[in-house]
Amino acid sequence: MAGTEGDQFLKQATGRNTRGMLRVIILCLIAGAAVSSRLFSVIRFESIIHEFDPWFNFRATKYLVQNGFYSFWDWFDDRTWHPLGRVTGGTLYPGLMVTSGVIYHLLRFLALPVDIRNICVLLAPGFSGLTALATYLLTSEMVTSPSAGLLAAAFMGITPGYISRSVAGSYDNEAIAIFLLVFTFFLWIKAVKNGSVFWGALTALFYGYMVSAWGGYVFITNLLPLHAFVLICMGRYSPRLYVSYTSWYALGTLASMQIPFVGFLPIRSSEHMSALGVFGLLQVVGFVEFVRTQLPSKQFQTLLRALVLIIFLVSFGGLVILTLSGVIAPWTGRFYSLWDTGYAKIHIPIIASVSEHQPTAWPAFFFDLSMMIWLFPAGVYLCFRSLTDEQVFIVIYSVLASYFAGVMVRLMLTLTPIVCVASAIAFSQILDTYLDAEMPKLEMKENGTSEPAKVAATAILPDGLRSTRSPLIGVYSYASKLTVVGASAVYLMLFVLHCTWVTSNAYSSPSVVLASRLPDGSQHIIDDYREAYYWLRQNTPDNAKIMSWWDYGYQIGGMADRPTLVDNNTWNNTHIATVGKAMSSREEVSYPIMRQHEVDYVLVVFGGLLGYSGDDINKFLWMVRIAEGIWPDEVKERDFFTARGEYRVDDEATLTMKNSLMYKMSYYNYNALFPAGQAQDRVRGARLPAEGPQLSTIEEAFTSENWIIRIYKVKDLDNFGRDHQSAGAFDKGHKKKRASKRKGARVLRVE
Amino acid sequence: MRWLSSFLLLVLLGVAQALSSSGRKLLVVLEEAAEKERFGGFFGDLEARGFHLTFESPKSTSLSLLKHGERAYDHLLLLPAKSKGLGPALTANQLLEFMKKEGNILLTLSGDHATPTAVQSLLLELDIHLPSDRTSLVVDHFNYDGESAKDKHDVLLVPYPKASRPDVKNYFSGEGVIAVPRAVGQTLGNESPLLAPILRAPSTAYSYNPKDEADIVEDPFAVGEQLNLVSTLQAHNSARLTILGSAEMLQDAWFEAMASLNGKAVKTANRDFVAKVSEWAFKETGVLRVGKMVHYLNEGTGKKSNSSAALPQNNPKIYRIKNDVSFQVPISEYSHTHWTPFTPPPSDSVQLEFSMLSPFHRLPLSPLSQTANSTLYGVSFKTPDQHGIFNFRINYRRPFLTNVEVKEQVTVRHFAHDEWPRSWQISGAWVWIAGIWVTVAGWVGFVAIWLYSSPAVGAAKKTQ
Repeated sequence: MAGTEGDQFLKQATGRNTRGMLRVIILCLIAGAAVSSRLFSVIRFESIIHEFDPWFNFRATKYLVQNGFYSFWDWFDDRTWHPLGRVTGGTLYPGLMVTSGVIYHLLRFLALPVDIRNICVLLAPGFSGLTALATYLLTSEMVTSPSAGLLAAAFMGITPGYISRSVAGSYDNEAIAIFLLVFTFFLWIKAVKNGSVFWGALTALFYGYMVSAWGGYVFITNLLPLHAFVLICMGRYSPRLYVSYTSWYALGTLASMQIPFVGFLPIRSSEHMSALGVFGLLQVVGFVEFVRTQLPSKQFQTLLRALVLIIFLVSFGGLVILTLSGVIAPWTGRFYSLWDTGYAKIHIPIIASVSEHQPTAWPAFFFDLSMMIWLFPAGVYLCFRSLTDEQVFIVIYSVLASYFAGVMVRLMLTLTPIVCVASAIAFSQILDTYLDAEMPKLEMKENGTSEPAKVAATAILPDGLRSTRSPLIGVYSYASKLTVVGASAVYLMLFVLHCTWVTSNAYSSPSVVLASRLPDGSQHIIDDYREAYYWLRQNTPDNAKIMSWWDYGYQIGGMADRPTLVDNNTWNNTHIATVGKAMSSREEVSYPIMRQHEVDYVLVVFGGLLGYSGDDINKFLWMVRIAEGIWPDEVKERDFFTARGEYRVDDEATLTMKNSLMYKMSYYNYNALFPAGQAQDRVRGARLPAEGPQLSTIEEAFTSENWIIRIYKVKDLDNFGRDHQSAGAFDKGHKKKRASKRKGARVLRVE
Repeated sequence: MRWLSSFLLLVLLGVAQALSSSGRKLLVVLEEAAEKERFGGFFGDLEARGFHLTFESPKSTSLSLLKHGERAYDHLLLLPAKSKGLGPALTANQLLEFMKKEGNILLTLSGDHATPTAVQSLLLELDIHLPSDRTSLVVDHFNYDGESAKDKHDVLLVPYPKASRPDVKNYFSGEGVIAVPRAVGQTLGNESPLLAPILRAPSTAYSYNPKDEADIVEDPFAVGEQLNLVSTLQAHNSARLTILGSAEMLQDAWFEAMASLNGKAVKTANRDFVAKVSEWAFKETGVLRVGKMVHYLNEGTGKKSNSSAALPQNNPKIYRIKNDVSFQVPISEYSHTHWTPFTPPPSDSVQLEFSMLSPFHRLPLSPLSQTANSTLYGVSFKTPDQHGIFNFRINYRRPFLTNVEVKEQVTVRHFAHDEWPRSWQISGAWVWIAGIWVTVAGWVGFVAIWLYSSPAVGAAKKTQ
């Protein structure tokens, strides 16, 4: 009775409704799981903005909420890049801030006044739920099996590759960009399938949103043309493709040009040329198709040949000329480093110094994608079986994204959606095959001969055996079904376990607050960063300029609210090199630089006491390299290595190293913590020289509890026109010695 | 009523402080109280100018320049002491510390006594050099006083100093000759811009050690105008150190003494000269004061006259590139008893820098108007075509004038999105605008023709 009721429940019209209902519930649960697995950091620590870039986004959002959209649009930020300032409104992707601003005002409109900080912290988890939904939609367009979409949504919801950039508090562009990426792809597939201007325009709309949100929009800008191009090459040109592509390109390009930071790039920079080229190609192909219907085939052949040749020559020549004359911007450094991973290290140290731009280590794939890494090729293979237009898209996407993810760590993020989709296709294929509980019916034996496989089987096998007389092709044994399904379930469990473990252990640390374990296993919070930033906020004048390495610029701006010289928006290499030079030179060289830039305080990060390896001495070589790029005569990387080529901080450190401002600031007074001659640097495992460095042009102002942050105040000019070293010596009681004998000619004073 | 009382208070304050711009407490360090008599005229003059004199011996235990980290006196007059050391309260570090707190020092040397070590190391630190043998005197065989130093030639008679450069104000000019008896000459280092000589020795003078047995002087410490009889140092915070080569100049005996220069009988003008030097040393002259800087957006001629501080747009924090900006600042100079309008020497001018890392503008300020106490200087200019964080900066440092270094930070922003000219205002854009509208019109026309011109015949033919 119950069985038949259940059958009815799942059949026909009610069945469809029930399934739809179930699907909605499952998707909601997936979204819930996606959101909640990203809340580790809030529960472990607090509702705080993470890392570096999110601090800028948070600050910009606050500015937007306080001053309104137009003053945000025209925002000139005079508290960064002192004294150059930054045209912030025109050099950022405003999508993220505007999204949070809209949510903020919407909630206020609904009489739910939520603090903007909480909106920013929870934006990424919220959007990850939407990403799961978009992945479901995208996958459902690819295959008929409904389970694939749900699996893909579940994978997308919890895969660490995506969680790494979207935990609560990770308020970065990627937080909403991945949703937009997947959703734009869904709309594009929909447009290509239907050949509708409506879907094409929707694609363009979300593409515009994507452009406003993340620089990674270039990925879409190149992937969609590539898809169209491959389809044309496969001879699959159709009016559907023409309509969807042209409507997307025309509207999408216009939409993207509305973002000030992008401006005229879509028609000038090389990265966007493929989209333009394919647009032109589609026109040509469309024209040729039209001509083909009008002309006899022989004339058409000659015309086609001539056309292809002329168009190729003209467009290629035009591209070369425009690039050479500078109308089209040549490829940027970041772009070159996509092809040659060694390029950045040699030519643009500032790009190479960012850990996100390093090539991916292979364990990272397993770490971020777990079992999907081997399901993914299977899914791609399955696409080849029918290879419809949209499945071609999967193939292209996976090939491209796999390559880019291998080149740059952060591009793992663009790979993740397609991995989820492809492995969901593969996994649902397995489940669909093995979860089918139906046994072959007896009648099938009789008319089974019609099936080609059975015909083949009967042809080969002798007819004498009963088992071979009417073979059943397929997996029908419960044992094998159970084995495979059970194994799959175990894999799924393991996947969930792995994802949760990675999320909780690797991706949920705010990095503003460090956590360590005490010997008894309890958690110990190291809060030096905030301690120091609040010290700055409370003890320095409102416009005291802080010099630090650019990594901490956004945090100082966000948490301490003080002007900085350089920050994580590394738009001006020379300015960063100036700071690098000040850090890596002798005090006498650094002091005029700091005076000129009106620096009041210098902030360094020092991990030697705690064993915190991400400190400035370990980043020091990048400062030296970047400074050397601009002043090769004054700063030389070689001078910071010992004769044997070692980078040392102990007794054997080179003189240049010991005299550099960074070294002095890091180790100033560090000896005082230890018994004489036993000062130990726990990061580099080095015993420091018995005599610590002396500072004359700056003085220690603040050192945080665990010595992670040290802040120095830049001294004013000496009141009596002496240099600081002799002034310091005089104050200590070393009287100047009278020059007993004059050397050389007497220098006369001239009024 | 309130304004009246505050005005009265101001007047009273003005009367009461009719003296140095930086305070009236003057400490005189004197070894023996008996010597006080010999400087009676000088001290009387100082008291007449409103100073409160406190006399202390260098050995006194109660002597302290600083009290609770602040200076206890405004000025310090150091008279020569016989002892080699000046005691723990007057070490070189203490003296420097006193000057760091903007205390002024008038330091006197004497050929009769050896210079104390504290003073020596202080001067050495400031790049002022004294002869290495402690008994050297300045001798001149041409400009000596025939009365008192007929044989030794160690009392110099020199005229009043002239301005060392045409762009420097001369606060020490006068008529007559100055007697400089038994002076210790100083030489000044060539590096420091803080040093300036007031009175240089005549070109025939040289440094001579009377204890030297030799007949000829070989390699004298310094000769001619390189020898300074009175020299000064003005620190970055405008604290003044004046070194008087001869303490005897201050004595009553030389104030209006009769002397003979090259046979002619002259009267020394020491009283006047010493007063001028001490006025400068204790900041009664040569002190500049900068009033409130005012800058505003100069929008057309209508608002130009409206430059008073009442205007709410004054001193905005932010300008745009290519804005017309006006800048005004009142500058006063302190003269003996009150603030007067400041006028720079004819060949000099106060300049305004509009700078970011380096000056984008360096403009001479021109006097706009004068009040009883100050001159209003101003200049108008256009902000450069470069956004950034700029400073209005006046950096006016001249010998004998207190340093003026003031700056105010403003932001110069870029054009906002709605501040550019509209497309139709740019004649070059008309072609493109026309193109857009032609395309629009053409498309609409095409659609209209397409819709309303259905093919009349042959509809059936086309189906093949």
